[in-house]
Amino acid sequence: MESVALWLVVLVALSFDFVNGFHDAANSIATVVATRVLSPRMAVIWAAFFNFIAFLVFGTEVASTIAKDVVHQDILSIGVIFAGLTGAIVWNLITFWLGLPSSSSHALIGGMAGAAIAKGGFDTLIGSGIAEIAVFIVLAPLLGLLLGFGLSLATMWAVHKYRRVERLNRIFRRGQLLSAAAYSLGHGANDAQKTMGVIFALLIAQNEISPNADVPLWVVLSAHSAIALGTLTGGWRIVKTMGSKLTRLQPVGGMAAETAAATTLFFVSARGIPVSTTQTITGAIVGVGSSNRISAVRWNVAGRVLWAWVLTIPGAAAGAVLTYGIVSAF
Amino acid sequence: MDRRAVFFVGAAAVCAALAPATEHDIRWIPIAMAGAYLVFALLSIVDFWSRRREHED
Repeated sequence: MESVALWLVVLVALSFDFVNGFHDAANSIATVVATRVLSPRMAVIWAAFFNFIAFLVFGTEVASTIAKDVVHQDILSIGVIFAGLTGAIVWNLITFWLGLPSSSSHALIGGMAGAAIAKGGFDTLIGSGIAEIAVFIVLAPLLGLLLGFGLSLATMWAVHKYRRVERLNRIFRRGQLLSAAAYSLGHGANDAQKTMGVIFALLIAQNEISPNADVPLWVVLSAHSAIALGTLTGGWRIVKTMGSKLTRLQPVGGMAAETAAATTLFFVSARGIPVSTTQTITGAIVGVGSSNRISAVRWNVAGRVLWAWVLTIPGAAAGAVLTYGIVSAF
Repeated sequence: MDRRAVFFVGAAAVCAALAPATEHDIRWIPIAMAGAYLVFALLSIVDFWSRRREHED
């Protein structure tokens, strides 16, 4: 019976990854679609492919952080992980329905923390691990913004005397294909690993594998497949908010934003820090927009995004507490 | 008032405030970010003044 429950929760985790792809991965294609470098359909295929092959480039450090550094392992059980995932999925679906680009990553961390608190109180949380994640919740979008602003300025300065605008645009459009691929690679690396981390934690908690073992290959492959499939199904409402409502982008701006976000994601993924890919690309887009003029950024939309961020962790945690209450009653 | 410079100074303050909470081996990141935001704030002020002077002329 327990093994059936284990595989059911693995399926729920992969569904979360799929919803994550559906909800978050649309961000990887927002700028290429907004600048008309690729059609929405081609952009989705492009992003999904690079989401999938990210496991060939990056390790599994982020997965280890999620499995071992958020909640004490002795509190983890099938019920806790199921409740955490359910809280995160419900929150993601609510924000998707409202068209808000909130963070699946924060929803997952909020859900896991909420379920653990419901089972064993606040002592079940690992302070140092959560502190590092909390610091980068703020630093990642600020780093994306900084790099986006700097790259945009540097590029404009490098080409400001060049008069053949059409030719320049063509070069930047091609460059944007590479930057979109790099961003999708970073997105796949960071986000797919979060689900890997949850499944890894579940397998450790059920004594299926040793805590010192590597993440099994089938977990790696299934997590990347789920996120790539989610990306393929797309999330057009969020594409609209990210690509054109925050600020209008030209190919040069799209390339700068994606390169800035990709650089940030490469760094944090190599370091094993789970961050919000949504926040990172939003920061980068705002950075590029503000390199033109501050009024180019639609701050009321950015403000709505900010509220979704602030509410995500407590919202997902509340959903997880409720789910754990229901699960433990049976 | 140059709103962009004000935003950058605020971002620099946030980065500097987070430096003590960052792990020792990567503490240079928020510190470098705070420095970069301050440089961009200065550049933004210069840009704001030069645009205003252009407009007045």
